[in-house]
Amino acid sequence: MTRCLVVDDDAEIRSAVQGYLQRFGMTVSTAASGAEMRRLMSGGSFDVVVLDVMLPDDNGLELCKWLQQTCDAAVIMLTAQGDPISRVLGLELGADDYLGKPFEPRELVARINAVLRRARKGERNANAPAHQRTVRFEGWVFDRLLRQLVSPQQVVVALSSAEYRLLSAFVEHPRRVLSRDQLIELTRSAGVEVNDRSIDLSVSRLRQKLGDSSREPKLIRTVRGEGYLFDVKVEAA
Amino acid sequence: MKRLWRDTLFKRLFFLMWATLVISHLVAFGVVTGRLGFGPTMFGSIPVLPSLPPTPGLPGDPQGAGVPPSSVGPGDEPPHGPFGGEPPPGLPGDIQMRQGPSLPTSSLLLDYGIRFLIIGAAAWWGARWISTPMRRLADASRRLGQTLGRDISPPRLDERHGTVEVRDVAQVFNKMSAELDQQFRSRGLLVAAISHDLRTPLTRIRMRLEAMSEDPGAQRCITDIREMNALIDSVLEVFRGAADGEPTQDIDIHSLVQSLADDLIEQGQPVSFSGEPAIARAQPTALRRVLSNLLGNALRYGERAEVAVRRDDQGVHITIDDHGPGIPEAQLEAVFQPFYRVESSRSRHTGGTGLGLYIARDLVMRQGGTLTLTNRPGGGLRAELRLPA
Repeated sequence: MTRCLVVDDDAEIRSAVQGYLQRFGMTVSTAASGAEMRRLMSGGSFDVVVLDVMLPDDNGLELCKWLQQTCDAAVIMLTAQGDPISRVLGLELGADDYLGKPFEPRELVARINAVLRRARKGERNANAPAHQRTVRFEGWVFDRLLRQLVSPQQVVVALSSAEYRLLSAFVEHPRRVLSRDQLIELTRSAGVEVNDRSIDLSVSRLRQKLGDSSREPKLIRTVRGEGYLFDVKVEAA
Repeated sequence: MKRLWRDTLFKRLFFLMWATLVISHLVAFGVVTGRLGFGPTMFGSIPVLPSLPPTPGLPGDPQGAGVPPSSVGPGDEPPHGPFGGEPPPGLPGDIQMRQGPSLPTSSLLLDYGIRFLIIGAAAWWGARWISTPMRRLADASRRLGQTLGRDISPPRLDERHGTVEVRDVAQVFNKMSAELDQQFRSRGLLVAAISHDLRTPLTRIRMRLEAMSEDPGAQRCITDIREMNALIDSVLEVFRGAADGEPTQDIDIHSLVQSLADDLIEQGQPVSFSGEPAIARAQPTALRRVLSNLLGNALRYGERAEVAVRRDDQGVHITIDDHGPGIPEAQLEAVFQPFYRVESSRSRHTGGTGLGLYIARDLVMRQGGTLTLTNRPGGGLRAELRLPA
């Protein structure tokens, strides 16, 4: 059973979200302020906290930092400000996800589940380079929040969603041969069909963008009959 | 070359002062020498500066006004000069005189040269001195335009130095810019507050609709909520200055456009891409926003989008072609105004906030680029984005 805490100063939103999430089998508590949240957090443990950025008595970003330091609950930030800067800020401060108001209720459930899935796999809060915002390999810098690469010559190279998912999978499993099936599993995304062909296409696009020749690739090597190998050392940037 | 001949306050003052001083010297000298009784022959020996109107003594009129022809100017001097070529016949007096006091001629030349230079330097410095406040005002006004509505304090002029008029202008300017800045700030805060206070009830409505999801009207309400939210986003973007603070970087334009096209293709949208390698300097997120907006327009109004990246000496251009009805020629510029809507073809039923193109052009201009729309000869609309190399 997922234990969830909803923190919002608007009473109706609080109870509506509570009711909605309960329909998905979650146990939901609510808090109207930062102080109440802190009290509830000390009383019991939660798997996920849905936290509004704007609270009357506390700054949501500060609360988010506090949550990161004191407990291991996943944090999803809600905001009515919804501009890209506060999104980046929220994620940098350790929120696991970020959702603008008004949101699709179903989307909130999907995000909660995704965050919990990652938590179960033990991928949260890991200090390994694979889980940091930016990683570095062979002079390239990969920014996972901005979804872009910066070349050794300091040129920004944009990635498509498919390339981003693929590179993320590679960066998390460097120097390991990944079969196409594994890659399909790792790059799965809602509403998109991923298959052998799309994986091959993304690999060739990525090679092109990384300046890796298709005949003798050095970064993403083809292992005949097995799959692909991201053959570089990945470091935290 | 055009810059050189521009009419500036500086040049007007400079030439006014210089010419006045030079002419006054010459006229005074002429009057004084005339009064002291030097003969016309004596006067003729003095090399006259080029700025003196060469009325008397033109070669065709040697006896004109009693001045010998040598007064024409230094350009004509050498042939008549003491070491020059043959003197023209029929002017014995002139030759006699020149052979006598040759020293005064050269020292007079030096004298005039020095005066000419000093007066010129003084005029240059004086003109600069007087026109500088004007230039500062222009600079500050330009900066004011760039700082308004952002978190940068507006430029201030020095109110304590300079002439009374300059200090007056500085005071008025500072007051004006502070007021403008204040207005922009409060307007921005207001919009942010309103949009926050709009989004909270929108969220409530959205949650309530979830309880009545069987009702066919609910879906339409949800669509409306989305549209209202998109409008709030755009308005906020306009007031925030969408690209503030984002650093300018070298961007691989080919990759950027290709990845945007790939994302749309992945979602099943009819988009095609062709292009050559190109790099330009811009703000990555801002540029991405502009391109997504243009691609979204092409798909919304023009069925499908064909995107191309080309490079030439002037820079990089990105074209986005669609297969829609286009826009009437007369309205091709007007669509960049906020909330402007083309009636009929691009109807309001297709949604959109009416701010997209306005924001897009604003962002492109901040990159030093241009954004234009044209109707393609074969039908459909072409959006063309040019970025400097």
